[in-house]
Amino acid sequence: MAKYILRRIGFMLLTMLLVSIAIFLISEVAPGDVARHILGQFATPEQVELLRDQMGLDQSVVVRYLDWLVGNDWRLWRLVGKPLRYTRVGQYDSPSWYAVEADGTLKQWRMKKGTGLVEIRISPDGKREEFLFEDWQIAEDGSEIFWGVDTADHVVLWRKGEEAQKVGPASAGRTMTEASGVEYYPLRKGLLRGDPGISLRTNKPVGPTLVRRLRNSFVLAGIAFVIIMPIALLLGILAGLKEGRAVDRTISLFSLITTSVPEFASGVFLILLFAFWLKVLPGAAVFVSDVAPFMQPKLLILPVLTLTLVEVGYVTRMTRASMIEVMNAPYIRTAFLKGLPYWRIVFKHAVRNALMAPITVIMLHVNWLIGGIVVVESVFGYPGLGMYMLDSALFKDINAIEAGAMVMVALAVGTQLVADIIYTFLNPRIRYT
Amino acid sequence: MTVAADLGKSLDTGKRRWRRVWESVSVIFRSRVAVVGLSIVIFWVLVAIFAPVLAPHSPFAQDSAAINKPPSPTHPLGTDHLGRDILSRLIYGSRTILLLAPISVLCSVALGTLLGLIGGYYGGLVDEVVMRILDAIMAFPTILLYLIIISAIGPSAFNVVLAITFVGAPGIARLVRSLTLDIRVRDFVAAAKLRGDSDWRIMFVEILPNARGPLIIDAMLRVGYAIFAIGTLGFLGLGLPPPTPDWGGMINEARKYIWTNPLGVLWPAIAISSLVVGLNLFADGLREETTRYQ
Repeated sequence: MAKYILRRIGFMLLTMLLVSIAIFLISEVAPGDVARHILGQFATPEQVELLRDQMGLDQSVVVRYLDWLVGNDWRLWRLVGKPLRYTRVGQYDSPSWYAVEADGTLKQWRMKKGTGLVEIRISPDGKREEFLFEDWQIAEDGSEIFWGVDTADHVVLWRKGEEAQKVGPASAGRTMTEASGVEYYPLRKGLLRGDPGISLRTNKPVGPTLVRRLRNSFVLAGIAFVIIMPIALLLGILAGLKEGRAVDRTISLFSLITTSVPEFASGVFLILLFAFWLKVLPGAAVFVSDVAPFMQPKLLILPVLTLTLVEVGYVTRMTRASMIEVMNAPYIRTAFLKGLPYWRIVFKHAVRNALMAPITVIMLHVNWLIGGIVVVESVFGYPGLGMYMLDSALFKDINAIEAGAMVMVALAVGTQLVADIIYTFLNPRIRYT
Repeated sequence: MTVAADLGKSLDTGKRRWRRVWESVSVIFRSRVAVVGLSIVIFWVLVAIFAPVLAPHSPFAQDSAAINKPPSPTHPLGTDHLGRDILSRLIYGSRTILLLAPISVLCSVALGTLLGLIGGYYGGLVDEVVMRILDAIMAFPTILLYLIIISAIGPSAFNVVLAITFVGAPGIARLVRSLTLDIRVRDFVAAAKLRGDSDWRIMFVEILPNARGPLIIDAMLRVGYAIFAIGTLGFLGLGLPPPTPDWGGMINEARKYIWTNPLGVLWPAIAISSLVVGLNLFADGLREETTRYQ
């Protein structure tokens, strides 16, 4: 069993690796330039070229993929000549890359207009000082150059006497991009070391946003799950017991119709009914950025209801089919012939076996559920993982897409593994080797 | 199907064949659910065919004097945010979806069948490689595949078909592969090999026709799913580019004005729901009836 689980986890990691490569390649062949997309229509070709350089887009796709996967500080520190460290200085500062001196002093460099290159030193006790930089090296062609780390996480090649220029105001919250260096390499820690990179759309680290969005989606899906399961199992068992009767027909028809209606359509119906005509519930989920969704339960009602409507029918149908099969099994007939009371047969003998199939099928259904969540979040403007993925995909924000895709694939494949393991516990006849 | 059954089929002439066709068709009418479903589907097919006759206006004609208006005699279902007639757009929208859905299903059946036949027939390393890749694709959440594909290649009718083909093919390939594994050991395949038929001929002339039953049922179910997917893509803004009348896209455009013009989202939502529900009722009723007599 342990061997089987290990092999499955290995397969999951392999799938994730293939998926990440595939996404990288697809985004590579996709038309359109990300740098142009970020800067907008009115950026000059020089500005676009500069941003491409700063984002590392001028490097080959293989290099960029490896940088994304395993980081590049272990490769780029040789240029600077000092070890590089990703750390935060003050409690409230966001983490950044620094060059580290032997005595523990952290260093960054910054081109100041009119002054020249400035060295920022942060000593181990937290004292921050700025000095005019004078320690230029002589390059092969005679010019004075210096490789350092700038304040926006790049390894930069500066040349003495080069004027500091500015890249104009740009969209996506990226106000001004400083451009003083000759060459740029964006520093990355790599996904395997826990850094999914910076979102191209919001210019913020993907990691924290993703965690917050994932939590919101889990809240939505979790509440829906808690509501769906008892209703669906109860309806399914009832329909299965009364196969072919009016109760069964009604339940079956209801579940078929609710699962058939696309999430965006049922969401629209619910919004119109409860928010527009009855005016009892808010029709959109508007959350103040840091307030957790469960602080405003009223906003959650319609999204949860939409998800419930679509999913409840599916689970009901699964349970019904499984219940019918079990009720026709010889051991149930034996129980009847033995004269056991009806409800005892149903609950003690039939239900336990009948629930096996739905539980595993539901786990396999996670793929479908993720799709439903993306649509429901989009209908209500709910700030979950699905919306994040949709917005990122529309913006071609490769870092966010990659990170979100890894989470989704891990969830989808992981739940399948969990389903298989649960199945072996429920049904001891199955043995995986 | 064995040699005897094949022989029986060739003797099956004229009247008898028609009676058999009628018998299989009449199954539909035994199920009330299937009849209701079929009627809804036929209704939309007729609407799509006679769209130019039925539509009171052009689906593209804009009227800046009548923006987001409620129903009136000239615009029976009201107008949208560009003053276009919602009824006409709804009618032409049925064409879009009823054309794209079967095409994309046909394409995914073609691709899936090819991969499944090759994997199942040759076996060994070829099979292993093809199936591993397909497993990896199927492990992906479907919506993620759509998002990545469409956002990379851009939204257009062709790309929507391409995306649905790509997403649907692995499931069909698995089905065809399992059928092929079963059929390729039969006697008539061995006979064809002895005759010296080429591998391609055996795959497409001997094996494929014998796998058609489950394949056709699967394809029919997939049409409903394709409509669902096209609607969802349209709603997410990944479907057909704007001026095209497309139900999902109509909802996407109109939902910004949901508080001023609620009917703008209601009608296309009803349209796509009724079509998908109709198809599923039909398929489910048919499945119920056919399994009852087996």
